Amino acid sequence: MRCKKIEKWLSDRIDGELSKEKEGVLEDHLERCASCRSYAASIEKLQNEAVSLEKPEVSPSFWEGFASRLKADLTSFKQGKKEKRPLPLRWNWVWSGAALLAVVVVGLYLLFFQGQMPQEMYVFSLENSLSRIYQEIGDDPELEELFNSVIIASIGESLEDSEWRERPDFLENLLLWEDLTEEEMKFLESEIKKDVKT
Amino acid sequence: MEDSSDGHLVTKAKQGDSEAFTELARRCQEKIYFTILALTKNQQDASDLAQETFMQAFKSLRSFRQRSSFYTWIYRIAVNMTLNFLKRRKREDAQEVLDESQSSGNGTEDSSLSPEGRSLKKELSEKLQSAIDSLPLTYRASFTLVVFQGMTHSQVARILGCSENTVSWRMHKARKMLQARLKSYLEGE
Repeated sequence: MRCKKIEKWLSDRIDGELSKEKEGVLEDHLERCASCRSYAASIEKLQNEAVSLEKPEVSPSFWEGFASRLKADLTSFKQGKKEKRPLPLRWNWVWSGAALLAVVVVGLYLLFFQGQMPQEMYVFSLENSLSRIYQEIGDDPELEELFNSVIIASIGESLEDSEWRERPDFLENLLLWEDLTEEEMKFLESEIKKDVKT
Repeated sequence: MEDSSDGHLVTKAKQGDSEAFTELARRCQEKIYFTILALTKNQQDASDLAQETFMQAFKSLRSFRQRSSFYTWIYRIAVNMTLNFLKRRKREDAQEVLDESQSSGNGTEDSSLSPEGRSLKKELSEKLQSAIDSLPLTYRASFTLVVFQGMTHSQVARILGCSENTVSWRMHKARKMLQARLKSYLEGE
């Protein structure tokens, strides 16, 4: 048994992630190998030191302030939502991703559904295409992750670095179009149609 | 009696109930804050990022499909947001970060391993903290979540969006780096 593998198993063991079978092999090896015993002792000490590192103290008033700031932010967010932002600003943002979304949706459509949908639906029913994609993704986290990363990377590439930075929430809101209104979806769809025609 | 389970609160919060969301936030705010603090090393940044995390979570609740727990989901937002923040800061302050790491980082080159008047343990703690801070970001994130938050590799994998095997390797590599950097202290007993 190579010591490099044993070193990784030692790390897994500290995290409580080593299987019983490996545990037995590990113990046998440690009995015979002084170098691995020494490594085991040092990373165990490291672990003990790490968990005993002092956490900075935070006063109860900090948490009170934290909670009231969050409450205030939530309230102003909800009020802002009621008032709704002016249309042009929202459209600017939607516009920037529209062309790329079209490309990605077409790509995914071809990848997943070619031959499965009636020809007349094609890609122009964006909403239908997306719901088919969601169905297809289902509970498969890998597929979802792949889908999200492709979309986000594509949109990121089309934006200036400064725009990207101003919109960190964009990174987190993976399936952004779930939050779009029906009106916005229709607008996107019509822009994509124009795009494809030209 | 009012159902105060996380699942029930999530359902209410999804319907726009900010009180329910505030309660969910209260239940995990300390863990989220200290995780971010362990990564940023700055209380103001940690506080701001924790606030942003909760706001982002509230805004994105509709897209939370409850396949994972609320806490896994919000940790994922917090860690992603913090890593993005740190990457951005690294770009903006490249020179400053370089200077800091040069002045605080390399324990193996420190010739004064046992200065008089300071306990070895205290010195080890300081060196360990500095060594953890100088780990590559993704390693530091895994190390923080596993060691300081007591999470399993599987939980961390879901938060960081990678495989369990990747987390396991990062933990191993992180320990190797820390052990190499602190060798003189760890073997000195």
